[in-house]
Amino acid sequence: MASVLQKLITPLSSGPLEPPRNKVTVVGVGQVGMACAVSVLLRELADELALVDVIEDRLKGEMMDLQHGSLFLKTPKIVSGTDYSVTANSRIVVVTAGVRQQEGESRLNLVQRNVNIFKHIIPQIVRYSPDCILIVVSNPVDVLTYVTWKLSGLPKHRVIGSGTNLDSARFRYLMAERLGIHPSSFNGWILGEHGDSSVPVWSGTNVAGVSLQKLNPDIGTDTDAENWRETHKKVVDSAYEVIRLKGYTNWAIGLSVADLTESLMKNLNRVHPVSTMVKGLYGISDEVYLSLPCVLNSAGVGSVVNMSLTSDEVSQLKKSADLLWHIQKDLKDL
Amino acid sequence: MASTKEKLIAHVSKEEPAGPTNKVTVVGVGMVGMAAAISVLLKDLTDELALVDVMEDKLKGEAMDLQHGSLFLKTHKIVADKDYSVTANSKVVVVTAGARQQEGESRLNLVQRNVNIFKFIIPNIIKYSPNCILLVVSNPVDILTYVAWKLSGLPRNRVIGSGTNLDSARFRHLMGEKLGIHPSSCHGWVIGEHGDSSVPVWSGVNVAGVSLQGLNPDMGTDKDKEDWKSVHKMVVDSAYEVIKLKGYTSWAIGMSVADLCESILKNLHKCHPVSTLVKGMHGVNEEVFLSVPCILGNSGLTDVVHMTLKPEEEKQLVKSAETLWGVQKELTL
Repeated sequence: MASVLQKLITPLSSGPLEPPRNKVTVVGVGQVGMACAVSVLLRELADELALVDVIEDRLKGEMMDLQHGSLFLKTPKIVSGTDYSVTANSRIVVVTAGVRQQEGESRLNLVQRNVNIFKHIIPQIVRYSPDCILIVVSNPVDVLTYVTWKLSGLPKHRVIGSGTNLDSARFRYLMAERLGIHPSSFNGWILGEHGDSSVPVWSGTNVAGVSLQKLNPDIGTDTDAENWRETHKKVVDSAYEVIRLKGYTNWAIGLSVADLTESLMKNLNRVHPVSTMVKGLYGISDEVYLSLPCVLNSAGVGSVVNMSLTSDEVSQLKKSADLLWHIQKDLKDL
Repeated sequence: MASTKEKLIAHVSKEEPAGPTNKVTVVGVGMVGMAAAISVLLKDLTDELALVDVMEDKLKGEAMDLQHGSLFLKTHKIVADKDYSVTANSKVVVVTAGARQQEGESRLNLVQRNVNIFKFIIPNIIKYSPNCILLVVSNPVDILTYVAWKLSGLPRNRVIGSGTNLDSARFRHLMGEKLGIHPSSCHGWVIGEHGDSSVPVWSGVNVAGVSLQGLNPDMGTDKDKEDWKSVHKMVVDSAYEVIKLKGYTSWAIGMSVADLCESILKNLHKCHPVSTLVKGMHGVNEEVFLSVPCILGNSGLTDVVHMTLKPEEEKQLVKSAETLWGVQKELTL
């Protein structure tokens, strides 16, 4: 006796199911991972979303909670599992797994804890999605993007760190607030290390092409009467501040990851400050990842924009590079 | 000496900027409140979002985290405060405040805890947004929507409970999985109480207007070989299941709230199963709120679709109404 399904529907095309074309995997279903997942879903960027983690119950619960919202979404397949086979054929894999900063802990202190986790995760991701682009979010992001690149064996343009995409977003928000305009109309770049020694490129800050530094040559220095430098300091302190208040940060980083995902997925060739392999640039001779303005498309990092930096800004980048290499060279089993 | 801002920008308009045109307030910045907030933001529904809660640090942290994402959003003003003045002139106020269900706890057990919280919240909301539409999410939602209505003094069209909007979404998701079709093409309405005694209206379940019960007359009964009844059971168990696995539910309810906000703010006149005053409908005599299909627009809930229900289905609604009234009449409001 025919089932409802058989009576209702006459199949026209048979054969194996098409593989997904715009699959995104999020590794780690903590607050950051889920904020990335929800942002990707609500921005309608993926035709399939996979979640992976080690805590089975939480993973299943998060997947179910998202699936229950599928009426409101345009992502027809949401899957999860502790086994990485669910991640197969992903175009983009977002890595948020790892332990988070404790109150007052600097990002650099997290390192070895997260390296050991990555040694398990990265090879599995690449096994099931050898053509994917990896976006590393876990902190310290610049070091962990390097670690991911080493462990994955992927070419460097396919391993990206979320880097200072978020710092720049915070910078643009705070600067724009001071001027009474929308963040997207304020242009400003923060480069280098995501964290305490990030570099605000004051020479590039502008609204409608009008350089703020030309209007105020002291901008960003200690002699600046308007103390614009304070705004960059607030950016650096942001994460610590939000962590102090609510225990962690997630919404802003989730939105920023979705922004990167959009450029990669849609081959937009938009420029974002993300962490990329900078050996050979700005006099840096070590294999480190730092954020520079990168053109992102469906191949990953298509190219890097050569910024005109002051010698002071270049030496700050070099200093970050040295600091990062100092940590990286002591990492075990890469 | 002119500041950088003065050199850069010349103020030309003498008019005061107008206030927000479609402001949304979310009361309660727990998991549900924040899921609703991020869904509303990502759907570009509002030009101002206000957050209120009693936990000041958490509130400030959540607001900052959202503000830091402003570059990626189209909501220029995100504010937060313990003081309700920050909620002034809201078009929609989403109430998620209150204690949440513990593992295994039924929604009805939460009641008096949440009534006391509402006695503080509701009058404060009305004070600053006397023309708003209240969207109640806190559980038990049908009772708390009644409570919010009583405490607010608002007309019944402006107090809406999220009700079975979520149950119906879950039903349509599960139906879609069973049929291999997107939930938006699977039509099915779960009405009545949001919770254990919700009513799946089997006669209305259809795809492209083809009644599934017409194809399978046993649908929804115990005799049904395809056991469609278990689809509804899974809907009822959903919340408990997700709570057991991850501790709470957030994403689905957040998205369903944004869906309702969209219909209200954009005056869509879309039909949603939400909780409204059903006295006088389907044999219900008590002043209770239950979910039925309602038309939502910028005046709130303006019309109710009268479903053709089977006698057993109406009996269930009447029974739910009696249970809810049994609890409501004991409340000190």
